[in-house]
Amino acid sequence: MNQIWTQRLLLLVALLLAALYLFPLYWMYVTSLKTGSEIFATPPGLTPANPQWGVFGYVWELRGMGRFLWNSVVIAFGTMMLTAILGTGCAYVLARYRNFWIDVALFLVLMLQVLPASLMITPIFVGFAQLGLLNYPQLAVVLAITAKAMPFFVVLVRASFMSVPTELEEAALVDGNSRAGAFWSIVLPLARNGILVSAILIFMQAFGEFVYSKSMIPAVELQPASVGLNAFMGPNTTEWNNIMAYATIYVTPILAAFVILQRRIVSGLTSGALK
Amino acid sequence: MNRLLSSLRDGKGFDIVLVTVPLLFLIALSGLPLIYNVVMSFQEVDMFSLGTFARPWVGFKNYIAVFSAPETWPIMRNTAVFVVCSIAGQFLLGFGLALFFTQKFPGASYIRGLFLASWVMPGLVVGAIWNWILAGDFGVLNYVLKSIGIISENIFWRSDTNWSLWAVIIANIWLGTAFNMILLAVGLAGIPRDLYEAAELDGANGWQRFWTITLPMMRATIGAVISLGLIFTLQQFDLFAAITSGGPANSSNVAQYWAWEQSFRQYDFAKGSTISVVMIAVVMIASVIYVRSTRHEVRG
Repeated sequence: MNQIWTQRLLLLVALLLAALYLFPLYWMYVTSLKTGSEIFATPPGLTPANPQWGVFGYVWELRGMGRFLWNSVVIAFGTMMLTAILGTGCAYVLARYRNFWIDVALFLVLMLQVLPASLMITPIFVGFAQLGLLNYPQLAVVLAITAKAMPFFVVLVRASFMSVPTELEEAALVDGNSRAGAFWSIVLPLARNGILVSAILIFMQAFGEFVYSKSMIPAVELQPASVGLNAFMGPNTTEWNNIMAYATIYVTPILAAFVILQRRIVSGLTSGALK
Repeated sequence: MNRLLSSLRDGKGFDIVLVTVPLLFLIALSGLPLIYNVVMSFQEVDMFSLGTFARPWVGFKNYIAVFSAPETWPIMRNTAVFVVCSIAGQFLLGFGLALFFTQKFPGASYIRGLFLASWVMPGLVVGAIWNWILAGDFGVLNYVLKSIGIISENIFWRSDTNWSLWAVIIANIWLGTAFNMILLAVGLAGIPRDLYEAAELDGANGWQRFWTITLPMMRATIGAVISLGLIFTLQQFDLFAAITSGGPANSSNVAQYWAWEQSFRQYDFAKGSTISVVMIAVVMIASVIYVRSTRHEVRG
């Protein structure tokens, strides 16, 4: 009996901590539904007195969010595909062998993971300008984000390849498969979950990317939603309900995907990040 | 030709292609820019010489200019304060939460996972939300602090030069706490239970168990988490862009934002790359520590 009550108490405290921590998210949703004068009320209301559901359609039209979000999806999808195609094979080889050169490659990958985008953008911008890549700004951004995101992907996916027993692959080779055949039909399907979760994480990361897009895409009609949000937040803005509505539209799909995939994301992260 | 093809399908060639293509891609898009960055830091680069490789060499002039600029040392100090306070906050809160969630109760791991929501959100959205929470006149944080009596006057977090850096630090601590917590929780789960049981039999109390078992056993994890924290904190750009833009009067400017500002606001690419070179060196040192501490953990 005593133990049950301890557990209930702990659960209650855990819920309170989570509520406190996630309060900023709640505040975003609540503010977006308040009227323009209600957001300036003192004391601030914990719930909107008169929820303004129309705000989402209004902000969507006002800021042209359809185009912004479409650009974000294009950039995120391109980054995810390129990263997955290049990174999966790399992670596989780095997981299968253990020798000096593999260690060198692994060290290189880990080092490249840490380069801050805001510091790399200067040489990338100048180099891309000289190559003429800035004429295709979204492609340029996809290439830059892929270079930034791939090491992370490789580290995560390598961990899931390591959990595939080598014996299965050897058995397939004995049965007459080629290396490529064994990789394609045995190893890849077994590591599928890890690859998928990592690819989704890369998608999320690229979906919210800001510094490369801000620096390399001057044309508004090609910019992603992060740059659009930045432009919406002027220094002296007062339309916080509209800005929060923009943020809500932008972030809700990501949060929904996160809640659905939470368990897999957390376990994927914890298996890879510390290794 | 046939031998080559079959090696690609069924031999060493298969592995070599799989690993070299991505590595070449990384070298082209990260390695070359890294070198180019150093080259540019010894040149004069502006809007006019952007398109050509034949730029005038200026030796260490850019470095001298950067290190003798009056704003350099305040910005470097801000960077240090930002990094140290962010990491300290994220780590302490994350460690506390991780310890709490090692307790056994229904839903513990699910609720713990929910915290990571902060980590998957776009940085600009996090910045926008904190922008509003920290607003001077109508921000909810000022209201809460005033109601519980900590402050009597509204703090203008974003426009007061004494507080602007702290506005970004608060948002960054919020952003990073969950990630710290999850990684530390993994480390905590790896400590064998029987160590605690043995210590309990020997009469050690909770406090003693923490200092003599938990902390020493967590040393490698803590090293990895703190160096990862350093790496992520030095990458933080979005929050600065969203909350203060480095202002007012550089009071919340940090090196990684300043480098971008020089290149893309002042169009002084040489100065931008000079600051980048210096900061990348700092990040590299941190990551060597990180790689070493994780190697240690994997191989024992």
